[in-house]
Amino acid sequence: MAFYENTIVTKQDLADKELKNIKSKYEQLINDTSGKVVKIEEWGLLNLATKIRNYKKAFYIHYKFEGSANTLKEVEKKIKLDDSIIRHLTVKYKKLDTENEFFKEKGDL
Amino acid sequence: MKRKNKKFQKKGSNSLNRLSLFQKNDGRFSKNCPLSIKNAPIIDYKNIPLLKKYISDNGKIISSKITSVSFSKQKKLTKEIKKAKTLGLI
Repeated sequence: MAFYENTIVTKQDLADKELKNIKSKYEQLINDTSGKVVKIEEWGLLNLATKIRNYKKAFYIHYKFEGSANTLKEVEKKIKLDDSIIRHLTVKYKKLDTENEFFKEKGDL
Repeated sequence: MKRKNKKFQKKGSNSLNRLSLFQKNDGRFSKNCPLSIKNAPIIDYKNIPLLKKYISDNGKIISSKITSVSFSKQKKLTKEIKKAKTLGLI
């Protein structure tokens, strides 16, 4: 059971309701496939350094979870299908540091 | 016998001394690594203010010769910078 950090970059023109169910969809997916969500961070709307698919701003959701290989496979498969997500990055860690928050709700860069 | 005395000559003329002859040694070579002090900032792709210090204005990674960062820290730094670039944070 390794520790993973998964950040999802979604389109900017999503309704608030859609963002909510995206967030809960993946959280529920992780919990289903033998994983355990440690923490969810919402970095909010940040402007992108470079244009990704001619979007200038994007909404970031950050998951810190513990899971096995097949949870990762499930999450990756779902992310690839979902077209409202333009970028994602999962990083494997030995142990997670959940205390320091780099993106406060202010979302300062 | 004379040969032996010659061997004990003081070896002081390494590259630094020769360099300081021509230009003021601005301490850039002797400065120790800013990232390996006791409570150094965590090198992480989320720690944007720190990463911003080590990239140039058009997003290139500054070489460790200039920022005098140690080799292992520079390797970690480049990995984290590239992760932040894929996410569009930098």
